[in-house]
Amino acid sequence: MRLALLAFYNETRKGMLLIWDYRFSMLTQVLMFGGVFLAITYMIGNGHFVAERMAPILVGYMVWSFASMALNDMSWNLMEETRTGTLEQMYMTPAPTGLIVLGRAFSRLLFAGTMVLILSVGIIAGFGLDLPLRWPALPVLVLTVAGVYGFGFIVAGATLVFKQVGTLAFIIQNSLLFLNGSFFPVDRFPPGLATFAKTLPTTQGIIVLRQVLVDRLALAEVWSDGTLILLVAHSAVFLVGGWTIFKWCENIARRQGSLGQY
Amino acid sequence: MAHGTMAPVIQIEGLSKTYRNRRKTPVQAVKNLSLSVNGGEIFGFLGPNGAGKTTTIKMICGLVTADTGSVRINGRDTVDQRGAVMKDIGVVLEGTRNVYWRLSAWENLMYFGRLKGKTTGQLRERGERLLRDLEIWDRRKDPVRTFSRGMQQKVAIASALIADPPILLLDEPTLGLDVPSARMVRQWVARLAREEGKTVLLTTHQLQMAEELCDRVAIMQRGELLANAPVGKLLELSGDPHYRIRLEGELSGSQLAGFPGLEAEQENGTTILSGPIPTQAELFRVLEQVKATGLPLHSVRRTEVDLEEAFVRMLSEKD
Repeated sequence: MRLALLAFYNETRKGMLLIWDYRFSMLTQVLMFGGVFLAITYMIGNGHFVAERMAPILVGYMVWSFASMALNDMSWNLMEETRTGTLEQMYMTPAPTGLIVLGRAFSRLLFAGTMVLILSVGIIAGFGLDLPLRWPALPVLVLTVAGVYGFGFIVAGATLVFKQVGTLAFIIQNSLLFLNGSFFPVDRFPPGLATFAKTLPTTQGIIVLRQVLVDRLALAEVWSDGTLILLVAHSAVFLVGGWTIFKWCENIARRQGSLGQY
Repeated sequence: MAHGTMAPVIQIEGLSKTYRNRRKTPVQAVKNLSLSVNGGEIFGFLGPNGAGKTTTIKMICGLVTADTGSVRINGRDTVDQRGAVMKDIGVVLEGTRNVYWRLSAWENLMYFGRLKGKTTGQLRERGERLLRDLEIWDRRKDPVRTFSRGMQQKVAIASALIADPPILLLDEPTLGLDVPSARMVRQWVARLAREEGKTVLLTTHQLQMAEELCDRVAIMQRGELLANAPVGKLLELSGDPHYRIRLEGELSGSQLAGFPGLEAEQENGTTILSGPIPTQAELFRVLEQVKATGLPLHSVRRTEVDLEEAFVRMLSEKD
């Protein structure tokens, strides 16, 4: 247990140190996320910022920003660690390697969470949006994030085996923005596309978060209408499935000797 | 040299690994390798590029899964008892950074030490000693990216040693280093084994380094083990004794034909015959033939075989 905690702390600390070293590019990234949000909502509002429309979009957009940062970490950053040989060093620990990967993810989660929160609060305050940060949103957010990381583990596993998946991850990241209901509710999509969109890692989370934050429903209500149950199932499938695929890919990478190849 | 104890700390049994290239053609990187390394020994792995040295090191530390065979570190299987094994080894791999260039030397040491299960409190004293020994203590707070290549390699080696593992695996530890840095690393590796009793397994292309440092050497080629012996024994095993016979004057073509198996160099009125002469009787026969040429004999010298020569001979015999 001590070893596990130490490994987790170690990865988190290292992650934060590295993030701090990249603070200016991170700040640029956050500003870019904010800028894209404002540009898109301006277009959707036909040349105006419409506060009533901005609130639900903000919920979806922030979940996407979060997913985007997580996927970036699981593809480009992991690839960079493979290239520099630090990934192989990371694997030479007595702690279970899964904990190391989780520690990495947690440090990124802390950073992404802070950035998303600052951005959200800034936009809410700046535009006077009626979007209270309610506590019931927290478990919904945690479930959504779990699903995002589950998907991230699939991307990370693919990175270990195939290496050049950064571009694919980039395409997925950006496709998610338009398919996960960030800007337009998925119910308005054509039926086939709506079904596909609902299988994506962030879609169900955005639906439930909007119900809790924008429509101000209680958790009991979203549970009884089945949307929260669907989110739990959705995230569990992504998390367990993603983890299983990651471990499988890790074994393949060890067999083909590609942990340190790029 | 022979500083190792008799107890083997690394035991490799029947290790094999085949990769598949992009065309799915099998490439056998390591073929049925068995050897052991004793405690406190500096063991050198030699071989040309593609010999299977790095794959072997990566199989020892569990980064590459072997197709067949097993590796035991201090009696523990590296697959079944991976956690315990990882505490016992420190590794510096070839051709990569091994450490985070964006972190400082000190942060790297603490990170890699904690990765082995030690707390920051347990690591501080050793961290300071390592960085002082390697003469980078004054720059411990600087990011590693601002260091010279030699200093970066020192940080990588210090990071492998921070948790005080009894076994150190070094893949080309002096590759790309300038002469003073390479020398310092060599001296340091020697000290680790002699004074701290560490077991060191290293791969290198620098045969002089292997000859200077290693108690025992294994030579690999195309995944196969060609030799595994103490350096002195390897030199003895490396074939027939070589001689260099110098004559005053130049031999004609027909005279040269009388010395099959020897190479002849003729320059500035002298002739040098060199090559293997397996027995004393054969040497006297050659000298008789020299006498018959009528040219004055300047000198006869037995040439010492160094590890490089032994290595080249062994590889060419195998070819």
